[in-house]
Amino acid sequence: MAAAIKNPGWWRGLFGAVAFGAFGFGLVIALRAISDLPLYQTEQTGYPHVIVPAITAPLGFLWGFGCFDYWLRWAAGLPTIPDDHSQHGAKSWKDYFKFNTDHKVIGVQYVVTTFIFFFLGGLMAMLIRAELAQPGTQIVEAATYNSLFSTHAVLMIFVFVIPVFAGLANYVLPLMIGAPDMAFPRLNALSFWMLPLAGILFIGSFLAPGGAFDAGWTGYAPLSTGAPLGQSFFNLGVQFAGASSIATALNFLVTIITMRAPGMTFWRMPLLVWANLSTSLLVVAATPFIAGVQFMVLFDRALHTNFFDFGAGGDVISYQHIFWFYSHPAVYIMMLPGFGIVSEVISTHARKPIFGYRLMALALIGIVVLSYSVWAHHMFVAGMFSWLRVPMMITTLLIAVPTGIKIFSWLGTLYFGKIHTYSTAMLFALAFIVTFTIGGISGVMLGMVPIDIHVSDTYFIVAHIHFVLFGGSVFTIFAGVYHWFPKMTGRMYDEKLGRVHFWGTLVGTWGTFIPMHWVGMDGMPRRVADYAEQFGNWNLMISAFAFLLGAVQLVFVYNMVVSWRFGPKAGANPWRANSIEWQVSSPPPIFNSTEIPRVVGGPYEFGIPGAKHAIMAGEGTEGAEVPAGEKSVVGTSP
Amino acid sequence: MESATVAVSHADHHHGPPEANQSSRIDRQTLGILLFIVSEVMLFGAFFASYFFLRVVVDPPSWPPHPYELPVAVAGMNTAILVSSSFTIHYALESIRRGNRNGLKLGLVATWLLGATFLFIQINEYVHLGFSARDLSFGSIFYSLTGLHGAHVFVGLMLLSFATIRAFRGHFGPEEKDHLGVEVPGIYWHFVDIMWLVVFVTVYVL
Amino acid sequence: MYGRLPIVKMLLVTIALTVVISAVMVPINWNGQGASTAAPKIDHLLNVMIVLSSFVFSLVMVMLFYALWKFKAKPGDESDGEPIHGNTRLEIAWTLIPTVIVLFAGGYSWKVLDDIEDPVKDHLTGSVFSQQYAWSFAYPGKDYVWSEGELHVPVNRQIQFKMHAMDVIHSFWVPEWRIKKDNVPGITTTAIVTPDKVGTYQLVCTELCGFGHATMRAKVVVESPSKFKEWVDGLEQKLPEPYMDVLKEESVTNPPALGAGGA
Ligand code: HEA
Ligand code: HEA
Ligand code: CUA
Ligand SMILES: [Cu+2]
Repeated sequence: MAAAIKNPGWWRGLFGAVAFGAFGFGLVIALRAISDLPLYQTEQTGYPHVIVPAITAPLGFLWGFGCFDYWLRWAAGLPTIPDDHSQHGAKSWKDYFKFNTDHKVIGVQYVVTTFIFFFLGGLMAMLIRAELAQPGTQIVEAATYNSLFSTHAVLMIFVFVIPVFAGLANYVLPLMIGAPDMAFPRLNALSFWMLPLAGILFIGSFLAPGGAFDAGWTGYAPLSTGAPLGQSFFNLGVQFAGASSIATALNFLVTIITMRAPGMTFWRMPLLVWANLSTSLLVVAATPFIAGVQFMVLFDRALHTNFFDFGAGGDVISYQHIFWFYSHPAVYIMMLPGFGIVSEVISTHARKPIFGYRLMALALIGIVVLSYSVWAHHMFVAGMFSWLRVPMMITTLLIAVPTGIKIFSWLGTLYFGKIHTYSTAMLFALAFIVTFTIGGISGVMLGMVPIDIHVSDTYFIVAHIHFVLFGGSVFTIFAGVYHWFPKMTGRMYDEKLGRVHFWGTLVGTWGTFIPMHWVGMDGMPRRVADYAEQFGNWNLMISAFAFLLGAVQLVFVYNMVVSWRFGPKAGANPWRANSIEWQVSSPPPIFNSTEIPRVVGGPYEFGIPGAKHAIMAGEGTEGAEVPAGEKSVVGTSP
Repeated sequence: MESATVAVSHADHHHGPPEANQSSRIDRQTLGILLFIVSEVMLFGAFFASYFFLRVVVDPPSWPPHPYELPVAVAGMNTAILVSSSFTIHYALESIRRGNRNGLKLGLVATWLLGATFLFIQINEYVHLGFSARDLSFGSIFYSLTGLHGAHVFVGLMLLSFATIRAFRGHFGPEEKDHLGVEVPGIYWHFVDIMWLVVFVTVYVL
Repeated sequence: MYGRLPIVKMLLVTIALTVVISAVMVPINWNGQGASTAAPKIDHLLNVMIVLSSFVFSLVMVMLFYALWKFKAKPGDESDGEPIHGNTRLEIAWTLIPTVIVLFAGGYSWKVLDDIEDPVKDHLTGSVFSQQYAWSFAYPGKDYVWSEGELHVPVNRQIQFKMHAMDVIHSFWVPEWRIKKDNVPGITTTAIVTPDKVGTYQLVCTELCGFGHATMRAKVVVESPSKFKEWVDGLEQKLPEPYMDVLKEESVTNPPALGAGGA
């Protein structure tokens, strides 16, 4: 036991959590004691003796788990433990449960963890749909219902979609640019371990007196500033998730800028790399806004400041401005990496170079720039400055242009190609194009102020959200998981089950979310546990399709779990792709390759005889003479 | 496991990763801290946005609201202290570039002391202001902007402490890559200083 | 080196598809019954947008399915596609055409917005108060009489609602009027509407405001001016004190609340 406490790991992590938590608790009690205050403050927004430990305990866990060991020794000027790479790579499944600095291990940790949260969030969606299957109360009270959709959305957004993309990119991005790892491997591991903590805070809020946070994922003040304790868990969870994604974004940016293989100019980067570059720019500069605004809410709740208390000079609407200044860019944080995945998948399976590669990259940058200028389209009916509506409407509508460029360029990529649809990844990528176009078009309608005045805060919005987030982001996530599954695990998944999953998901998505447009326009508001009789039949149908959608996700889990263990060996390059990650073994060798590859051409040079993207270690230098078709020589692992 | 044994076994068979290609002139640490500063600026931006709403949009009859006053003179003096610490950290960096270890130590210690003085004066100011963060939105935004900055001074001081400890233990050298441990906290410290100027001008002067 | 595409045919199919989708979708009254002068304008805008959207959607579908039909690899075909990297003319086209479409949509929306919010001199003013979880309304005239849970308005006369929230944000929505506006604590928001059909409607709260949000409804009665006058005259209750205080600050968007609460 003593040894267990001395060495970083789960035991010391547990010890750290308890010790730091107790310290935080003691600190609050002690301070209140000397200030002559009652020891426990249990007004619904108070509870400092819970809030402070909810900050210190996670930090204690991170310390105990070993996230800071190296840095603390370094900071103290002590000889740091020489990097023996014992924290690198995974030799057994147990290594996935350790503080591990290998980007490939971290990538897998991310993807698995986030999918667990996806299923928990999905489970809540199932409960939501059960409640809404009929008017009146079915299974939960109105207050619990509010907690359900709030946690549903928060889990999906903050601990599924945003980080799962970080996970996929963590795995493939360093490989793609020919780097041995991320720029800051320890920071990378820290980023990952903050994530489950955020998720635990979100879910743990169900245990708080008064129930889980219930002010929606948007947590508008003053509803949130007066809500029960659970809301504070949201405020804090967002800090951990936010810090995690800022650190990862910083890591991606530095990796992409400083660690590209020789010859990998910006215009030779795969579009996935471009997509993550753009996303990271959004994260670094926008995420601090949600951190800031959630701090303000926390202060208003716990310290009784007056940011949003109109009686004391506060401004209610300022919450929404600051929140959406992050949260609109956030919707692109949740979409751009998916654009990158789709580019890789479509080009590979259509055996064609990406159509208009440079414009594709520029469109990404265009979206980044524009998305900072549209936040108030969420506030058209919020009573904000009315003069801001028209300018925000124009910028909002203009976002359709760079997005359209991407849609049309993917379609252009298909032309004169050799389209293979045997891979589930390709099916999801193609379905994404159609589904996302619908979601985008409903977005454009929302961008038009008069239409938004009518449909804002109705099920039309819920339909839009899910068409872009499920039909958009989640479809691309599935595409990415199927596409790189062989690379990550070294094994093939079952294409038959993949097809079942695909068609079930497609039908389920359309069946669930298309009718939501109709009931929304016809007068059904969102965020209600109960609704008018007239919407009963539609909602029953929506719920039925939602259960189908939920059920086919179990097929996906089965496929992934069983194939990981028993699937047929995949080989290095089952899709005959060009980018560098496919030129090394599956899974890749521990340091990605023995030598840094040399990049000699673009990433999508399909159909050009003799063209090569990169020359791998041991391949010699006469790349131009390697005949086409034989270009994917597998990098040997040591 | 003791670090010594690790080191031995490590030396035996080194099979580290291949050295990454350096594809940009800027090194990782410097770029990292610059990007971190971008996100820090945005964090301040969130609070400045709030400041804007509370002061300009709500538009109370007077700001600071009657009867509160801000000790502009004290804060101005404090500003001078903090700004001068930017010069001492610059001196420390220049010293180690020229191999002057004593200059490095002197510069670091001086910077640390100036920073600590700033923080001390600011806390002292808090005690004597006569209003708290609960007093109107003015109190809230005043304490959160200056407090956020104070927290950054504190973090900066931690980083400086690391650099100072390591300087006294004989780390760092004139080579560019050997004094990143001074340069990177230095960049951060300059940021903390400049941020203070913005906070000072906005909160106290305007 | 590669064949030509049947561009004209594809375009024709796109247009045919657009016509079919529009023909199915435009006649449907998506937004339900309309009962204000704003309703037909917004519904018309929606219809125009449906036509434009069907075109965009049809274009994407035709492009996608033609490609899938024509360029699908034969089983066992391991070869690559044509190495086409782009086509500047096409790329300019699909940048410009959506730009034109959205700018048109934006301009038209702007015009509609101006139309439906155009204030007229001869309007009525009504006050709306929302709180967890009830609506109440005040009518000027004899010292502000008020009614709880039931709003009456005369037909064919513009009304400007001044909205106040007493606790958290609520939102005022009468679907048939196509008008929605948040009620924000601390500020007064305004909504303009001209009801043009006599009838009884429902006012729905559309901003999450707590566990009673789903049931925060009120009855809206649009009636002839004479009936309306009768109803207002019949109201006994005077606006209670706390509401009156809020009302006094109506002219200011943000009350100079300093010194009021807090401290
Ligand atoms: C992945 C996430 C994602 C994405 C990508 C988008 C994309 C867009 N969104 Fe969406 N949005 C959300 C997630 C997302 N949104 C969420 C979660 C909310 C609700 C938040 C809440 O309140 O809880 C929301 C809410 C929301 C609103 C507020 C509604 C309200 O509350 O009243 C608006 C209003 O303008 C809007 C607009 C848009 C627009 C214009 C786009 C555009 O980017 C879409 C661009 C794409 C296309 C247009 C399709 C492809 C283009 C072509 C084929 C070219 C030709 C097209 C035309 C000429 C039209 N969104
Ligand atoms: C990426 C984001 C994302 C995703 C993937 C989803 C997925 C789904 N969402 Fe969600 N949703 C949001 C983001 C998302 N949602 C947001 C942002 C809101 C707004 C919240 C707010 O108003 O604040 C929202 C709100 C929202 C509402 C509106 C609530 C309301 O306004 O009252 C509804 C209602 O039907 C809904 C339904 C669904 C359904 C049926 C799915 C389905 O796609 C889910 C499919 C199901 C699964 C994937 C899980 C399957 C699991 C099982 C079958 C159980 C097995 C269990 C274990 C293994 C443990 N969502
Ligand atoms: Cu009031 Cu919702
Ligand atoms: Cu948005």
